[in-house]
Amino acid sequence: MSLVRKLKPDHNITGPLVPLSMVPIFGLTTFIFGIPTGMYTLAVMVSLFAIFYLYVFIRTGNITRLVIFAECVFLDYMLFMASGDFLANPFDRKEFALAYYSGMAFFGLVLVYLLLTRKFKWRGREIFELAAASIEETGNGYTSRPKPVGKMDYSLQQLHAFARFCARHLIALPYITSKNITLVPIKMGEEYGRVLGLSGDYRDASWVNFDVDGEVSIHISQKDYLDYREPLAFDQLCASFGQVYIDFFEAHKKGEGIRVVDRMDDLKLGFFS
Amino acid sequence: MDFSTAAKYASLLSKDYAEDIFKLLVNYQAISASEVATRLNLHIKTAQDYLEALNQLDIVSKDEVLEKKRPYYRYALKQTRLMIDIDLKQVKREASTNSLASHIRERANAGARFSAARSDDYITSVTIWTGNGREREERKIKLTTPQGKFLYHLPFPKAEPLTVDEIMHKAGVDEHLAPEIVDLVQLLEKYMVIESVEEE
Repeated sequence: MSLVRKLKPDHNITGPLVPLSMVPIFGLTTFIFGIPTGMYTLAVMVSLFAIFYLYVFIRTGNITRLVIFAECVFLDYMLFMASGDFLANPFDRKEFALAYYSGMAFFGLVLVYLLLTRKFKWRGREIFELAAASIEETGNGYTSRPKPVGKMDYSLQQLHAFARFCARHLIALPYITSKNITLVPIKMGEEYGRVLGLSGDYRDASWVNFDVDGEVSIHISQKDYLDYREPLAFDQLCASFGQVYIDFFEAHKKGEGIRVVDRMDDLKLGFFS
Repeated sequence: MDFSTAAKYASLLSKDYAEDIFKLLVNYQAISASEVATRLNLHIKTAQDYLEALNQLDIVSKDEVLEKKRPYYRYALKQTRLMIDIDLKQVKREASTNSLASHIRERANAGARFSAARSDDYITSVTIWTGNGREREERKIKLTTPQGKFLYHLPFPKAEPLTVDEIMHKAGVDEHLAPEIVDLVQLLEKYMVIESVEEE
């Protein structure tokens, strides 16, 4: 597998910025209102974060999101205890300190494991890299029109199972209607806007659509196309983008879904990109 | 009858005083413009223009007569039944073999915006920009379902062009719908969204 990257380097910091922004807010509220208020504020922010990850878990079935949710709940509990209302000087108590440090160490290790194994990662960049891997010709030709890329033979159950597989492994976020299943690949950092519906209509994003008659069509947004270093031949890129999902679907039908994940892992993209 | 002649008929018949003038024409053997004007309380020029227009459409005849060596015209009705008969088939765009065989694809950087249907594989509308400078404005063209399906399957810019016929076949558009497809192709060619590519 070639490691020549077709996408521009990822400098998007939205992903880490959201959790990291809690630190200065905590510092500021602590400085102004004191430690208990600071801890409550932090607890509220962590709770919101937990609710978001619980929602993502419900939406995708990705177990790593449930781990983050559990970590947030643990942290919330500790913050309420440490805020002073329940325990005076909590870190003076051996039990609290032991529970806090061992809990943080456990969740920290789990988080590092999930990051290193890329189980935590939205796979949008992998999809776009795989789509562009075989395209050498350049020449732009971008159009906002969707492209029909072929007809597949599948049952509705197989289609739903593939959509669940894509969601579970964060390959794409499925949007299901009575006639179609549309899979929207998401790059790291874009998940907040897309999952919460703040990034506009999903039909304006890049997607691959499977309809109940077996027709497969795709659309690549201009934003994603401009993310490539070179103006790749758009017609070929669209065909290849569709083919990536068709290959994934075929592999999944044969019970070889793990190979799909391996293929994306082989690209060795950054953990946060 | 062609459209422009029918439009002239319709324009004349739509005047407020049309019925009154025709009443005079049908009841008088011949009548002059001044007689019509005084009888219906119209301006002489209005009556004269109207009768001249009827004469041009061959509804009335005009004869020059002399009164104390001063000539004027008297108008007489030539037909008592007026028929506006337009054969709409004459404006139907017949899809010629030539137009169906032309190789087309989307023009690169056409600047058009395509809206795809949410539930099915077709384009619902095309938005293009027309005019220049301050006159520049957005124009949205709503498409029929066959047109939308056709446009959905139109080759991308720089892709291998296909004939109109081939695209219709790919899109599953029936042959008898060719006139509306050709109409769309010609419109989008005019706005430089589609380009015809010469076969090599």
